Amino acid sequence: MTMRTDTLPEAMTVSADEEPVSQRKGTRRKTLGKALLLPGQLISVFVLVVPLLVAFYMSFTDWSPTRGALTSARFIGLFNYEELLVYDTRFVEAVLRTLVFAAICLSLEFLIGLGLAVLFLRKFRGKAILFSMLLTPMMVLPVVVGYTFWMLFQSNGPINQLIELAFGAGASPDWFKSALLAQITVIVTEVWHWTPLFFLILLSGLNAVPENPIRAAVILGASPRQVFWRVVLPMLLPVIVIAFVIRAMEIIKLFDEVFMLTRGGPGSSTETISLYIYKLAFNDFQLAYGAAAAFLVLIGTLGLVHLLLTPVRNQLLEARN
Amino acid sequence: MSDRPLTLPLALLLGLVTVVTLFPVFWILMTAIKPPTDWNAVPAIWVPSEPTLVNFQTLFDPEALGVYGVGGVSEAATQAVFGSLLASIVATALSVGIGLAAAIALSRYSGGGRATPLIILSGRMFPPAAIAVPFVIIFSTIGLIDTYFGLIAIYIAVTLPFSTWMLKSFVDEVPKEVEEAAMLDGLTRVRAHLTVTIPLIKGGLFATTLFIFILNWSEFLFALVLSYTTIETIPVRLAKYVTATAGTLYGVQAALAVLAMVPLVIAGFLIQNHLARGMTFGAVKR
Amino acid sequence: MTRHKLELIGLRKEYDDGNVVAVDGIDLAVESGETIALLGPSGCGKSTTLNMIVGLEEPTGGDIHIDGKSVVGRPPGKRNIGLVFQDYAVFTHMTVAKNLSFGLEVSGLPRSEINRRVGEAAELLGLTDLLQEKATRLGGSQLQRVAIGRTLVTKPAILLLDEPLSNLEAEARQAMRNELRRLQNEIGLTIVYVTHDQTEALSLANRIAVMSAGKIRQFDASGTVYNEPAHTFVASFLGSPAMNLVRGELRRDGQALAFKSGALTVPLPARFDAMAPADQAPVTLGIRPENLRIGQPGDSGLISTVSVVEPRGPEAALTVEAANTDFAVVVPSAARPEPGEEVSLQFPEDSLVLFSGETDRNLALPHNVEEAA
Repeated sequence: MTMRTDTLPEAMTVSADEEPVSQRKGTRRKTLGKALLLPGQLISVFVLVVPLLVAFYMSFTDWSPTRGALTSARFIGLFNYEELLVYDTRFVEAVLRTLVFAAICLSLEFLIGLGLAVLFLRKFRGKAILFSMLLTPMMVLPVVVGYTFWMLFQSNGPINQLIELAFGAGASPDWFKSALLAQITVIVTEVWHWTPLFFLILLSGLNAVPENPIRAAVILGASPRQVFWRVVLPMLLPVIVIAFVIRAMEIIKLFDEVFMLTRGGPGSSTETISLYIYKLAFNDFQLAYGAAAAFLVLIGTLGLVHLLLTPVRNQLLEARN
Repeated sequence: MSDRPLTLPLALLLGLVTVVTLFPVFWILMTAIKPPTDWNAVPAIWVPSEPTLVNFQTLFDPEALGVYGVGGVSEAATQAVFGSLLASIVATALSVGIGLAAAIALSRYSGGGRATPLIILSGRMFPPAAIAVPFVIIFSTIGLIDTYFGLIAIYIAVTLPFSTWMLKSFVDEVPKEVEEAAMLDGLTRVRAHLTVTIPLIKGGLFATTLFIFILNWSEFLFALVLSYTTIETIPVRLAKYVTATAGTLYGVQAALAVLAMVPLVIAGFLIQNHLARGMTFGAVKR
Repeated sequence: MTRHKLELIGLRKEYDDGNVVAVDGIDLAVESGETIALLGPSGCGKSTTLNMIVGLEEPTGGDIHIDGKSVVGRPPGKRNIGLVFQDYAVFTHMTVAKNLSFGLEVSGLPRSEINRRVGEAAELLGLTDLLQEKATRLGGSQLQRVAIGRTLVTKPAILLLDEPLSNLEAEARQAMRNELRRLQNEIGLTIVYVTHDQTEALSLANRIAVMSAGKIRQFDASGTVYNEPAHTFVASFLGSPAMNLVRGELRRDGQALAFKSGALTVPLPARFDAMAPADQAPVTLGIRPENLRIGQPGDSGLISTVSVVEPRGPEAALTVEAANTDFAVVVPSAARPEPGEEVSLQFPEDSLVLFSGETDRNLALPHNVEEAA
């Protein structure tokens, strides 16, 4: 992105302005630019930055709504952080669980999405309508997705009825009573919901892959499989990374669907980071402790995204500029 | 890249994926129009023989299910529908308006710096549950908790990066010479933006508005923690229905879910071609 | 290096169930070690021909032979034909070395052989120092070398180059032209250049096949194509400005032979007598702009007016109006007249070319490519 601030006034001088006038114009431009940015900045500062600073301060205290005003909170240094990382196995488990969910869901979403995108490179009738149909899940709001799958996975729900139809009466499980099965419902729900996003992004990427390198590879004797793995996929890599980063950021915050599906249960077997922080803060009123957990998560996420972005950071920045 | 036709096994596979993709949506649509006798039937009733709108009626008149001899919900969803519409529409309008001003500023008057996209990304990384914590504290201190004002303020702040970024990518596509030409004709800068820039990005403005609306209408967590008695949105009401009536009122729950889903599916299809851009902050263009 | 022969036999490509004929049954024989150019405007069918030779498209009729054997139906990778794309199509996510070894790796050659051949190709093309560079960091002519090298390591029987110079800047173009000629001399490959640019064709190829509307209009040595065009299309496509072509008819008056078009009459030399058709037959008269002569108004020749003068360094291109017909004339700058000036226009007998008005073919060349088919 270039700074055009100084070049524009000359280019569009309307009349033969005196020097001071055009200088005033330059200043006016800058003022206008700042004025246009101001409302957004104000909102962001008051609604995001201030609360975050408060939360940051709070994370070093033992404050809880039952203990009176925030100003009377006792400063306890890194106690909350130490507690979380060293003693709070539920937090550590929630973090690991969320990461495992993320790894499984993202892999499945990527593989299915890529497979679909590759199928969509072929010629067939009704492609446009099928494309829209396959995108439907990502247009459904998360709460409704969670609710729908909660209903589908009920012990006498349609999924179990189909299972009994196929494998006989008594074959169907009680999805929300077993830790493993409940975890599977979460994964199935997430994969159903967000595979379309991978499909959409990867198909855009595949369609943007230039034709000639592919032809060149074919002429050089590469088999369709070699063309795909050695030429197409590497050229698609930046887009793949972008899709993973976007989805990783979202799935680390996973809340709505799990809230509707399992509330984190049975036990805490499907409890994600967000769900745990929510319970800490709004069920147990340990707001300060929850804030500390949130900052740990933010730091972790930043690190993760930084890592994921490393191979394509420059391309990403160029794409935006 | 390949113009090969679809082979039969691949076509069948694609068909299967499509069925799996559409089945949950189909199921919830069907449940929403099932009479109470069909909700829990074994074997399952896939398509109701006597479709009814009674579930939708119940959302606004809790006693409507009485004709089937079934007790209704304890509370109508009227307030939730009103709340969702109010919060989503006002927050979307303001977010797009403020975002448009910022987008023009960033595109025309300052670079914004190379780090801006990464800052926006970091904002998206913070779990909403964590942002909600200080909100609740501050808002309860200054009396904004359980008010639409507070909810809308959060919605604007959370969607602002999206609206700013998406709109900036559209403004960037308008050559600045067009505005300069208008200014040579004697228009002021502001007038030039109003009469030239903005009309030229009409399509993008429309897509952004719908995209932000989708985000606001889908939001659940903030509404959940900020609502006590005065404010409510459809997702919150749906969650309450599920807790309060666990498993018994499938039809009514499904009706509310459908009500929540339909505007978004329509909006989503309308901006289908811009979804990739919106979701990836413009990194992927179609 | 062994040399290979390429033949196109009645090659034909139709689209849309025969409603669109892209390549209309062409015949072309490229001798071993020969360098030819397939020259024509965009849409003439040369790209389709190229795609059929490498196997990206299958012909709807005719055959393609390499060393006498048909390659039609073989997949592109099994034809032993190399193609260098106009945009080079280098694999940008790989290093130069990886690009060069790609064709060998996919065919599963042993590592030592791959390294040996890549080393040779890098040496030949001056890429040795760039082997570990990422392809994204290279400039236009370096990319082209990589594209050529990537193909050469697979030892193709025939090398096709699509518009090899058009993406290069003027300076790099000259260097690459020399480079391509050097390569041709060193390795003696059979090379087909496909281009729309006549300078490129004239400077690179020994023989030029000029294509239009899916047909080969002439296939001859570059000098012959220029001086003795077999078809009005060839005459109008080569040269800048192109050959003057005037439609009219032949007049026989006893022994005297003349060309007549409206008010314009040009006496024709006796050499046309044998081949010229009957009196009043439609013909097209052709003459190169640099062959027309300008004289003083009093001199013999047609009285005419200079309407446009376009200086071009050592020479000038004129538009001269004679008998209601515009002629392009190229004269040395020193001798250039002023616009509006009256001059006499002379048609040197030796430079006149006569085409049939019906077939557009050169009447002096009874057997051209199409008739041979």
